[in-house]
Amino acid sequence: MGRDYILIAALLAGIVAPFLSVGNAESWPTAAMALWIVALAAAAILLLPLSASWAAPLAIGGAAVGAVALYLLLDAGARGLAAPGLWLAMIALAFLVWRAMERSAALGARTKSRFLDLAAPILLGIWIVYLWQAIIVGFDVPHVLLPPPTEIAGAIFSSTGTLVADFVQTFIRSMIPGYAIGCGAGFLVGVLVDRIPFFQRGLLPLGNLASALPIVAVAPIMVMWFGFDWQSKAAVVVIMTFFPMLVNTIAGLAALGRFELDLMRTYAASYGQTLRMARLPAAMPFIFNALKVNSTLALIGAIVAEFFGTPIVGMGFRISAEVGRMNIAMVWATIVVAAVTGSAAYGAISLVERSLTFWHPSLRKVA
Amino acid sequence: MKRLLAFTACAGFLAAATAANAADPVTIQLKWVTQAQFAGYYVAKDKGFYKDANLDVTIKPGGPDIAPEQVLAAGGADVIVDWMTAALAAREKGVPLTNIAQIFQREGLELTCLKSSGVKSPKDFPGRTLGVWFFGNEYPFMAWMNKLGYSTEGGPKGVTVLKQAFNVDPLLQHQADCISTMTYNEYWQVIDAGIKPSQLVVFKYSDEGVGVLEDGLYANGDKLKDTAYADKMARFVAASDKAWAWAVKNTDAAAKIVLAADTTGAQTEKHQEVMMKEIAKLIVDSKNPIGYLDPKDYDRTVEELEAQKIITKKPEGAWTHDVWDASKKWFDPTKKM
Repeated sequence: MGRDYILIAALLAGIVAPFLSVGNAESWPTAAMALWIVALAAAAILLLPLSASWAAPLAIGGAAVGAVALYLLLDAGARGLAAPGLWLAMIALAFLVWRAMERSAALGARTKSRFLDLAAPILLGIWIVYLWQAIIVGFDVPHVLLPPPTEIAGAIFSSTGTLVADFVQTFIRSMIPGYAIGCGAGFLVGVLVDRIPFFQRGLLPLGNLASALPIVAVAPIMVMWFGFDWQSKAAVVVIMTFFPMLVNTIAGLAALGRFELDLMRTYAASYGQTLRMARLPAAMPFIFNALKVNSTLALIGAIVAEFFGTPIVGMGFRISAEVGRMNIAMVWATIVVAAVTGSAAYGAISLVERSLTFWHPSLRKVA
Repeated sequence: MKRLLAFTACAGFLAAATAANAADPVTIQLKWVTQAQFAGYYVAKDKGFYKDANLDVTIKPGGPDIAPEQVLAAGGADVIVDWMTAALAAREKGVPLTNIAQIFQREGLELTCLKSSGVKSPKDFPGRTLGVWFFGNEYPFMAWMNKLGYSTEGGPKGVTVLKQAFNVDPLLQHQADCISTMTYNEYWQVIDAGIKPSQLVVFKYSDEGVGVLEDGLYANGDKLKDTAYADKMARFVAASDKAWAWAVKNTDAAAKIVLAADTTGAQTEKHQEVMMKEIAKLIVDSKNPIGYLDPKDYDRTVEELEAQKIITKKPEGAWTHDVWDASKKWFDPTKKM
């Protein structure tokens, strides 16, 4: 096994760092120095050949201790390019975190634990948030350009009522009806096109046209037609989700193999029976593909449509109004809510897909 | 070889000479799209006032969802045209905006209602739907509703607020009983749409006692400490004031200059001529010369913002007369032209 050059680099950087200037902090606080030495010791031990079940917790622990040490240093006043000691130590910490992610991924693979599999991505997420906070604080970045995660968390917790009201307006009242109507209409038209091929030549290009319309052009027109409230936002979502669902339904209905179609014919199955028992189940992977894509599009559509005229509640309104007021932390809080909502919707649809399309080769477990 | 050396030497001297005579670059971010509301700056550029002041000025038009304070905070402009409410709110968030000149002495913001909706006075507002602009323009409305004691959350005792896009559709489509308009712009869009002034009821914010200072010039207060920069700003204010003084006396010609500068082709000559006349009414004041910030108007604006909790403490150093005083060296608006 070759030498772990990354860990060696981390150790070297970590040992040199305390000797460099730390700007306004003048010198490392005692607690920070003590914790940093512990972190370096952990990194040194990691150089030895350890089993994954020891290496992972050691690496994570060392990284955590090192992170606390550097945050204490930042607190003491180390700022900007006058504090190279801090940034060199941050690079050492970055290498250590890298190795921690690697070791936990190895442990997850070894024990086949679903929980440990998530450890590496979670570590990466925490590292990104930590680095974000350190850079904003360390380089005195104006908060109106990019607020630190602590300020964003503060905005989330102090304005929970507003965020919930916005979520209800955008997601529950605008997006869900629009999503249901758009996907439903796309599906029904898809089945119609399949039944009566004459429509295929006419409706597909029209559907293509509808999906190519830019939201920023369509939204003000919808506001004029349907008013300021959720109806116009739902209309925009319908336009955006109709075509992907239509195309995927048509592709899905064509997916059933010739053998299975012939088998249904030998059973004297009618069109409706064939559709219900064979073709629709075979179309499920395509339909769920469309549903997943549409969940993202619908959220984007609902939020962007709210930029163009809305009662004063809703995620799009909140982003637009708070940007105007330079309350960027609130904008980010809304972004976090939108990201979590989008991911949760996608995840929920994936779970339903897993139960309904368990037979698909992509979901069958390898023996 | 000798000829090459000689050529390079000449080129170098030429470059040095041009650099020495190069004008100081200034970028101004407007609050809205190219229109007569900003005629002074276009006139100054067109008539060479900026060139005479040794300035190379780039005028950046604004638009929907462009907040001039953010452009300045990000370093995209040296001076911005902004309303005092948005500037003070941004100042409290850490953007070091300082008023160096106040162009509009009077407010043009008003609420325009259809007589047919039944609104005759502010007492009729509860239960109505009102269109309000956001993006820094909502503060006067919030201050007014606070003064009247109406909630903006809707309901029978409060008003329902619509985030009005920057057009007059909600009134024309009967989606709102009243909408926000400017005396010089959207009001005339309503008239152009075929509605007669006799069908409208207009509430001017200045008449209701909730007017707050509108278009003024704001620069980065931290940078003003540098004398060369302050001098550049003073020359800019002088050239702009001179251009405004000319524009308010020659409104139609100024409108033509603005029209020529409009790259989008969205403006019409008639609309700009009307706008320029209305803008002139907001600028010319018997008390205050062009560009002079009356400290009393400033105090009134700050009081309203504090009462509305838009700012939590009195701003320090949010305005200065130094730049305007220095600008009088090049153009004195108090002297008769």
